[in-house]
Amino acid sequence: MATPAFTFTPSTFQKLHPAEFFRRFTTEGVRPDGRLLDSFRPTTVHHGVISTANGSAMVRIGGTTVVCGVKAEVAEPRLDAPDQGYLVPNVELSPMCSSKFRPGPPSEQAQAVSEAINRVLKESKVLDLKDLCIEEGKAVWVLYVDAVCVAYDGNIYDAALAAIMAALNNGTIKVSGGTAANDENSFKLKLARTPLSATFAIFDTTLTILADPNVTEETISDGQISITLDETGLLCGVTKIGAASCSQRVLKDCVQSAKKRTLQLRGIMNQL
Amino acid sequence: MASITTEQESELLIVLPGDQLPESGLMEDSSAAHRLTLGPGLAPMDDDSITAVKAGILKHNAVGNRWWVESNQRRYVAAQGESIIGVVTGKTAEHYKVDIGASQPALLGVLAFEGATKRNKPNHNIGDSLYCRVSMANKDMEAELECMNPTTGKADGFGELKGGFIIKVSLGLARRLLDPKNLVLRLLGQHIPFEMAVGTNGKVWVNSASAQHTILLCNGIRNSEYLNAAECVAMVKSLVEKM
Amino acid sequence: MSRLDRTRTSAHQLRPFFSSQNLLNRADGSAQFDFGESSVMCSVVGPSEVKLRDEKLDKATIEVVVRPLVGLPGIKDKAREQAIRETLEPLVLSGLHPRTGIQIVVQTMKDDGCILATAFNATILALLDAGIPLKSILGAVTCIVDNNSNEILLDPTTEELANAKSTHTFVFDNKSSITSKEEQQESVDVATLYSDSTGLFSEEEYFECAQICYKAVQAVHGFIRTAVQKKLEKEYQQIHS
Repeated sequence: MATPAFTFTPSTFQKLHPAEFFRRFTTEGVRPDGRLLDSFRPTTVHHGVISTANGSAMVRIGGTTVVCGVKAEVAEPRLDAPDQGYLVPNVELSPMCSSKFRPGPPSEQAQAVSEAINRVLKESKVLDLKDLCIEEGKAVWVLYVDAVCVAYDGNIYDAALAAIMAALNNGTIKVSGGTAANDENSFKLKLARTPLSATFAIFDTTLTILADPNVTEETISDGQISITLDETGLLCGVTKIGAASCSQRVLKDCVQSAKKRTLQLRGIMNQL
Repeated sequence: MASITTEQESELLIVLPGDQLPESGLMEDSSAAHRLTLGPGLAPMDDDSITAVKAGILKHNAVGNRWWVESNQRRYVAAQGESIIGVVTGKTAEHYKVDIGASQPALLGVLAFEGATKRNKPNHNIGDSLYCRVSMANKDMEAELECMNPTTGKADGFGELKGGFIIKVSLGLARRLLDPKNLVLRLLGQHIPFEMAVGTNGKVWVNSASAQHTILLCNGIRNSEYLNAAECVAMVKSLVEKM
Repeated sequence: MSRLDRTRTSAHQLRPFFSSQNLLNRADGSAQFDFGESSVMCSVVGPSEVKLRDEKLDKATIEVVVRPLVGLPGIKDKAREQAIRETLEPLVLSGLHPRTGIQIVVQTMKDDGCILATAFNATILALLDAGIPLKSILGAVTCIVDNNSNEILLDPTTEELANAKSTHTFVFDNKSSITSKEEQQESVDVATLYSDSTGLFSEEEYFECAQICYKAVQAVHGFIRTAVQKKLEKEYQQIHS
């Protein structure tokens, strides 16, 4: 009688060898959650979810949920830019959204995502900061854009950027008091463009590219590519980090895929 | 500039991580075909190529078709069979904990001395310097040391280093000091009689008749690292004159 | 065409390199790398003991600390730490030193643009100096697309960066050069280790920048090789003379 081979259930296998478990799926062209390699998770956008904020939105990409609120306050302008306001984006990854994050000062990931979004907003000139001027050298608007992750299941950059752009898009600043003529006037924020992004995970050993990685895919992947595009198809940012094997051809494919994805995401965002 | 041609072998053949060794060069010895011994600094990669992983000089020894990269660094990584100098940092019933400059302290069994028995153990205290041999080195575990020759059970010069002074030099310089023809040691020896022990972990123990001489010797050894022969002669001369 | 810094004559010219290895006495490896007036110093300690909390059973833990020119580290420095660490992780053969730590500290000394690229080059030189086993070396270069002329300028200064429509930083390893030599094609398919681009740019501009930076990185690789060679020759002159 032959001794039975060492066997275990799929869930045990997944716990023992997450990378190998995953590889068995990707070589067949599917992922454990049923998606194809190049498909994104179902995405929903809700506008104006926080009534007290000047602008707000909630974005869900699969299991990842990000709520974003825009708050306008009056502040003194910088001396070297007396006619410009401020745009202060911040992404918060609190212990509430995942056990991955510890309480205390913002994690490296939260800071890196905040910095990446800050650079996209600034470098691709999403908002003319001169629009935020109230009186030159005296007072300007400062827009605090806080994106709070409520549930974390990977791909925070896409979700946070989409939430921030949706919130800024419906941002209205109410000016109360002021001169005798209008006791209350308000203006909508004018955005020059709406950058949206698509993120891909890279696996070195199998040379697989996965669109929109979830948290388990993120932890076992070797690197990530994020591509940010505006509505005209102009690139606003490309970031490729980690993973030793990533040819230009792969990047080209990702840009094509990102174009399709951001178009679809724009459609979802514009449905009211 | 990734592949290396063997024609350059007359001069120093410098390799950087990522440089692949040509397969033809590796298999030049037909009698020992398919037998290849890789030393430090070389590793087989996923694509079956032999690649340098450290920056250094590519060396080859036809006996056994051995290839390695001679490189220099300051951090010691324990390797079996090497003679090193360590400092006792802790003591338990069965082991001494010895700092050898690696990522973790090494263990030296209290019975790993010449003639040591359960009743008659050597007594070393925290802070003592020991000249010993790495008896077991494994990347996943702490290194183990012994203070005797394992085949004969004799001390063979291993043991406590009393008096003197220990300096830390780069691992490359330590290896060069072990060369019996080493220039700076010969030059210093012409002026001052001294004894020394060189550990391949970059620790060098020097002892002489007076502290003044010992300091001079240590400075001479340290200074010699980046000097050529003529500069070495001048350096030693100026050191001795100032004394 | 003359560049804003007046020392260079062509858009694809890099500033003069400078490097120095083994500068710090207490570190296991250290190096300084300069692109003109931008200078970064890097120190490496390891493989050394690591905090029990950060210990990995099968590989070394790589920690990167980025210190700015002035003031306390901000979120920009944190983002750079992440970029450098995640680029080095696949490069360092960390499996050879399990349960140890490799600490890399990057300090800006002078800032005249392209600090991230300079930091990458300083880091690789410091890692080579420390003798950390690596799969390959890397080289980094930054370029911009100029707002007025729409021209691609390599290795921009702070002055030129202020007038950039888009900024691109690329890191390539020295392995990808093998494939390029065999192919002998105009546009080579190169493996990108790290790429970071911001601003507004078209797809064509991005891939053109990648090609130009890739060619420029070959000069950086060559320089690193010469720097290492000079140091080794100095060390071994007693034996070979």
